[in-house]
Amino acid sequence: MGMWDSFLNWLRSLFFKQEMELSLIGLQNAGKTSFVNAISTGGYSEDMIPTVGFNMRKVTKGNVTIKLWDLGGQQRFRTMWERYCRGVSAIICVVDAADRDSIPIARSELHELLIKPSLTGIPLLVLGNKIDKSEAISKQAVVEQMGLEHIKDREVFCYMISCKDSINIDVVMDWLIKHSRRAPPSS
Amino acid sequence: MAQPLGKKDDDQEDEEYSPFLGIEKGAVLQEARVFNDPQLDARRCSQVITKLLYLLNQGENFTKVEATEVFFSVTKLFQSKDTVLRRMVYLIIKELSPSADEVIIVTSSLMKDMNSKTDMYRANAIRVLCRIIDGTLLTQIERYLKQAIVDKNPVVASAALVSGIHLLQTNPEIVKRWSNEVQEAIQSRAALVQFHALALLHQIRQNDRLAVSKLVASLTKGSVRSPLAQCLLIRYTSQVIRDSSTNIQTGERPLSDYLETCLRHKTDMVTIEAARAITEFSGVTSRELNPAITALQLFLSSSKPVVRFAAVRTLNKVAMTHPLAVTNCNIDMESLISDQNRSIATLAITTLLKTGNESSIDRLMKQISNFMSDIADEFKIVVVEAIRSLCLKFPLKHRSLMNFLSNILREEGGFEYKKAIIDSIVTLIRDIPEAKETGLFHLCEFIEDCEFTYLSTQVLHFLGNEGPKSSEPSKYIRYIYNRVILENATVRAAAVSTLAKFGSMVESLKPRIFVLLRRCLFDSDDEVRDRATLYLNTLEWNGSGGETDKGVKEFLFGALDVPLVNLEASLQNYESSEEPFDISTVTKEVKSQSLTEKKVPGKKPPTLGLSANGPTSPFRAYENLLSSIPEFNNFGQLFKSSAPIELTDAETEYAVNVVKHIYNGHVVFQYNCTNTVPELLLENVTVMVDNFDVEEFEEVASKSLKALPYDSPAQIFVAFKKSDGLLATGKFSNTLNFIYKEVDTTTGEAEEEGIEDQYELEDLEVVPADYMLGVSLLNFKNSWESMGPDFERIDEYGLGVRESLAVAVSAVIDILGMKPCEGTEVVPNNARSHTCLLSGVFLGDVKVLVRLSFGIDGPKQVAMKLAVRSEDAAISDKIHEIVANS
Repeated sequence: MGMWDSFLNWLRSLFFKQEMELSLIGLQNAGKTSFVNAISTGGYSEDMIPTVGFNMRKVTKGNVTIKLWDLGGQQRFRTMWERYCRGVSAIICVVDAADRDSIPIARSELHELLIKPSLTGIPLLVLGNKIDKSEAISKQAVVEQMGLEHIKDREVFCYMISCKDSINIDVVMDWLIKHSRRAPPSS
Repeated sequence: MAQPLGKKDDDQEDEEYSPFLGIEKGAVLQEARVFNDPQLDARRCSQVITKLLYLLNQGENFTKVEATEVFFSVTKLFQSKDTVLRRMVYLIIKELSPSADEVIIVTSSLMKDMNSKTDMYRANAIRVLCRIIDGTLLTQIERYLKQAIVDKNPVVASAALVSGIHLLQTNPEIVKRWSNEVQEAIQSRAALVQFHALALLHQIRQNDRLAVSKLVASLTKGSVRSPLAQCLLIRYTSQVIRDSSTNIQTGERPLSDYLETCLRHKTDMVTIEAARAITEFSGVTSRELNPAITALQLFLSSSKPVVRFAAVRTLNKVAMTHPLAVTNCNIDMESLISDQNRSIATLAITTLLKTGNESSIDRLMKQISNFMSDIADEFKIVVVEAIRSLCLKFPLKHRSLMNFLSNILREEGGFEYKKAIIDSIVTLIRDIPEAKETGLFHLCEFIEDCEFTYLSTQVLHFLGNEGPKSSEPSKYIRYIYNRVILENATVRAAAVSTLAKFGSMVESLKPRIFVLLRRCLFDSDDEVRDRATLYLNTLEWNGSGGETDKGVKEFLFGALDVPLVNLEASLQNYESSEEPFDISTVTKEVKSQSLTEKKVPGKKPPTLGLSANGPTSPFRAYENLLSSIPEFNNFGQLFKSSAPIELTDAETEYAVNVVKHIYNGHVVFQYNCTNTVPELLLENVTVMVDNFDVEEFEEVASKSLKALPYDSPAQIFVAFKKSDGLLATGKFSNTLNFIYKEVDTTTGEAEEEGIEDQYELEDLEVVPADYMLGVSLLNFKNSWESMGPDFERIDEYGLGVRESLAVAVSAVIDILGMKPCEGTEVVPNNARSHTCLLSGVFLGDVKVLVRLSFGIDGPKQVAMKLAVRSEDAAISDKIHEIVANS
């Protein structure tokens, strides 16, 4: 049976193969690379080195192949985010919900990116990370402090996750797979 | 297009079709958009990158925007798993990294590849990473690089080692920590790894002589197998031998056994390298030389052109210094004259010319004449020069050699070639009196049909000097006057001057010269008429009164005693000034290469801090620098500036060198300081100079530095007044005083609080040579005789035991600081006696000429006879005093 099932899956994937491209942005130490690890391997490591530049990852879930541009969050790389966000299916902005001081900076960086004409209409997914920590703020607070209700020109979603404890990772995954069905916005 | 490979030859190569012919940058940049496609076509992308690489290698310029744009779209290709494409990505990033912005963005991706399982990824990622990385990131990946050095895959290890060599330039402290791994890599079985590891290890230690000699000593014991690495080792070995030979008395060289065993190595490359190293020993003995020559001789008949070339080239060099040692190879060498490769043939010929004896010359000349017609000009020049030196060696053969030169002079040839022939004939005429008449005649014939104005004027000038002294001056007049009728204005003017020289030197010809010169008064060209008028007038005066005779001769034949470059510079200054021009103020120092500083690899040379003054001479730059400092304005004209002398060891925190500036009554020390520590800022930097035992010097002014930031050289000046009329010499101790502040390298801000500190510099000495300016002379004999014996002082000195005559000669030259003339500083090997001619100008613009005669006896006792002529008796005495005191 198992063999038959996997054979069917394989056949299905041949015919319904979906592909999507995502860019991950956010301040340094927000958990972008951890998120990529969480959805690709499910692993988590405390001791991560800062991403210098970008990492390119491909993740296959079911019949969806996701290309992930995991971008460095340090000041010097933020100007280059835009280059890797052009033409993607969605932009994912990871926010450290437990670091209250950093949120205003994250907000201004995000809004500065979204006014770029090349990125209009691309859906935005904001992930409030590190909700395993006690000092993490609520989803409501994230939406408010990130000024998400002011963004009118695109779809905006927000989830609260924890890469460490694997909370809500599957929900995000489902969202992503659902969105992959749509045609990527023309760029 | 499919052709059998063997059939290809030069003619067909032109027709070969290049797939890149006529591609354009704009179009290729358009094509590069495929990198951004969501579905990548790896093959297509590889092709586009190939085109981009082709354009870059053809020297096409990409603007910053273009390069950055291409670079970022290339980074998108990291998503592809295609190994061929990835390899192209590495290549293009390496090419673009200097011109594109923000290349740092690929760091993470490369770091990932550097730890990949695919060897090709690892190796290439390492190479690229080292191109784009900076010091702070390097410490992060250092661990991986160290691992890679000892990686079992040779390609990866080599990549890491080569990267280490590059990184050593920018981050020496980090790379130096890898010594252990590099040492391990030297033991690798892979040839290339061993080679690269040896190169890197040597570079890490290159500033430490002892460490290098230890390294060489241990490796020569036989652990190096790779031929390439062995060649390197041979080079390092000969370097060690060179460095140590100065303090070895016995004549036995260390490590020479190793080189001799290398002569029997099975790889040609190693044998040739070893042979060459042996032949380049200073003062090589024939016992050392013979095995090397024998090895090279075998290669002369090798089937590989490269090997033949290498062998004949080395032998050619040896023939310059030890012609006898090479004579054994003459038979093999003669068969090479007909070698298909013309470079080999030319080298063979010139070697034979050097080693040949008097009897073989005629036969050789015959062979060469056949050969000359089918080689290129640059080879012909080499042959001509060889013939010149041969003729100087065997003056008796001048007839056949001169004939040969005149024959080839008649044939077709470019300017450089003709110039080489003319120069050779002129040299032969000067040095071999018997060759003069025929030589001059050949020159006359040459200018009858010469298309090069420069050569015509040169020959005419030479005829003017030598022709009047020949047995029958009148026969040259016709050739010279023909020039006035037939040639262009420049040559006509030169011919007029030559005629005038004949007129003034040969009394009997004077009336006829007058007639010819008068005809020139109607020339169409100003310069020709002016010259004719001038010479007519001076010659007529000359006829009326005998007193001006000497003046006229000096005017016609005397040469300028100042270098033309200096004269030109002074005239440029003069154009803007009001005062009348005085030629005696023009400095006489000849600009020589030795004044420009040696570059320390990886560091900005601590120069004057006058980067805008690139092409001007150091002396001129110093003069400008000093005259911009008001305290030194009343010191007068700068007489001499010494070459920079290092006061610190290489690689210390603060690099300081000093330049001594000599004025008539003052001495100024210019300390060029460089702070080599990025974490430090120095403030209130002064040099405390203690002239403990010298009363003749009195400190009058100094100029300190407010701040000395990292890596920006700056100068401190200290000025001394000398007691009048004294040749003041003495030792000075120097201490650098400063306040240092730590600097945060990320922000570049210095701390508020500073700590006072001082740093001992090496002592500095003012020696008599500082008051002497070396001036080169073309013709020492003339100057010596025109100076006259009025203030001549002669004395003899015993110099004690010296290693060789050459050592003694260079020691005396250094003591006096004068310039050797006519190449007399070179002492032939094993000479028992030698004469060295020196010329210079002493402080106060007094011309000084020195003739040194050396002799050496059995137990290496050197004796010297010193004859000085100068314009001032006191100075002549002083020169003896200097020599006697040192």
